[in-house]
Amino acid sequence: MAITLTHYLVLASVLFVIGLIGVMRRKNLLMLFFATEILLNATNIAFAAISHYIGDLSGQMFAFFIIAIAASEVAIGLGLLIVWYKRTGKIDLDQMNSMRG
Amino acid sequence: MLEPIHVALGSLNIATLAPMLIAIVGALSILIIDLAKGGLHKSLYVMIALLFLLLDLGALVDFGGVFLKNGTILGFFDVMLMDGIAILSQIIIVVGSMLFIPLALTSKRFHEYDYPEYFALFMFMIAGFQFMVATDNLIMIFIGLETASLALYTLIALHNRSKSFEAAVKYFTMGALAAGFYAFGSMILYAISGSVEINQIATIMAEDHYRNIGYVLLSMAFMIAAFGFKLSMVPFHTWTPDVYEGSSAALAGYMSIVPKIAAFVVAMRLFEFLVHSGVAWLQVILYIGVVVTMTASNIWALVQSDVKRMLAYSSISHAGFVMAAILIGTTQSNTGLFLYWALFSFTNLGAFTMLWVNRQKNLIAGQSSDHPYEKFSGMVKTMPMAAVMMGLFMLSLAGIPPFGLFWGKMYLIGSAVSSGYTVLALIMALNSAIAGYYYLKLIVFMFMKEPIVGYDQYYFMNASLSLKTIIGIAAVGTIFAVFAVNPLLKVITLFVYNSGY
Repeated sequence: MAITLTHYLVLASVLFVIGLIGVMRRKNLLMLFFATEILLNATNIAFAAISHYIGDLSGQMFAFFIIAIAASEVAIGLGLLIVWYKRTGKIDLDQMNSMRG
Repeated sequence: MLEPIHVALGSLNIATLAPMLIAIVGALSILIIDLAKGGLHKSLYVMIALLFLLLDLGALVDFGGVFLKNGTILGFFDVMLMDGIAILSQIIIVVGSMLFIPLALTSKRFHEYDYPEYFALFMFMIAGFQFMVATDNLIMIFIGLETASLALYTLIALHNRSKSFEAAVKYFTMGALAAGFYAFGSMILYAISGSVEINQIATIMAEDHYRNIGYVLLSMAFMIAAFGFKLSMVPFHTWTPDVYEGSSAALAGYMSIVPKIAAFVVAMRLFEFLVHSGVAWLQVILYIGVVVTMTASNIWALVQSDVKRMLAYSSISHAGFVMAAILIGTTQSNTGLFLYWALFSFTNLGAFTMLWVNRQKNLIAGQSSDHPYEKFSGMVKTMPMAAVMMGLFMLSLAGIPPFGLFWGKMYLIGSAVSSGYTVLALIMALNSAIAGYYYLKLIVFMFMKEPIVGYDQYYFMNASLSLKTIIGIAAVGTIFAVFAVNPLLKVITLFVYNSGY
């Protein structure tokens, strides 16, 4: 069976949904960061595949930029996580409830 | 073997990068000065930032002149796009930033201003917003958005209270999700059109008569979610009050203005070609979004016990109000968007600065937040001038004539009526009336109640000359807006009309 663009897109969509469920369900911040990575990398697969099938390079460029942005996002996120952990000793999203209303 | 590609330097039109490069050079020079000699006073960095913002503004005004003479300026293989709305929104961004940065010169010492990196990150953030509005390339929008957002998360966290870390983490998780939505939405657009430039996508879609309309709507759903997070549209608004409460009042005021105008411009570029092509589904979704955002956030604002949270909900409601302009999508309504936001930035920054000058180091005994309504009770007896200023900003936010925002509201509602959205105009007017209640509640506390003994020590704890100057500028902008509205409208209409929106 030949692998077509549709297969890649279905794979990307499935990964995206997995990432989305992860973002919504996970209470552990570290796991939540993993989920956002899955979310962005799902898009990368789709971009690379589309770009190959229509013979246009800008999709692959977009994928590279998403990789760079995902990396810097994790850098900032882990920085925040470490400070939060030092202050409270927890990395649970449910503990963040000092503000209400 | 690929042939080397020769690009004439002149065809790149490097000048289109000038405004952003000025901001970036400002950021780098702040870092270099810190490397050469550490431990300098924050006022030096404030002045450097102001200087570079002034240069930035000069470059933008220059671009404005060129735009009016020659039309839209393109550069870097059409990636950079300096049209009227890009120039206008950049001017609002830079002026808003110039009003924000002197707020660092407080009389109390705050953790974040001891770091020159704070000012460098601030300048990088401005460059990010400028890149975001001055392009219609989806890649460039993404990079600008993320540069600015990542810098903003750090700025919030630098405030060094446990609430601000909580705010930064909440904003970060929401922002990361929004980035994912944006990337997926633009992936779908790329899949159906094979292009990442909004105007080409629009052309290709019009050529094949919206054959793939289902996919377009799916991608627009993702885009609405992504920009809903950035613009704090209901139901994506949940982070907003917490983040505003956790960050410093000055930064909260900044966040309610500058990131949102950048997101509005991108939303305008993305959604308007679809609204114009009569895609009913998008119109319905935007209609519901606008009405729910305005009404629900107004009702939440009514029940807040903290002034800062009340202002946070009120800024959500104002964003919903302005989002109506994108739904209507005429030249008049887009003009109204910029007019409203220009007037709103003065008023709202003034209101948040009034909270910033009244910021105490520790929480008031028996209170869980910084600015409860009771703190302001009887303020007119102890601090008459400050109470009058705060009252002025509240009246303007409520849309009482002749203060600033009244004209913005009137123009936007007028544009809704003249393009046939009578029901929407009625809802907008009703919401302004509801909003009046909670603004007047603060005025009642300040002017009608007796002062609580011992609370007057909390007033103006943080005041300094530069903070008072900013309040003065905001007050002048709010009061004398009545004289500025007509010339402002002429200029904005010229810019918006000539860029085809």
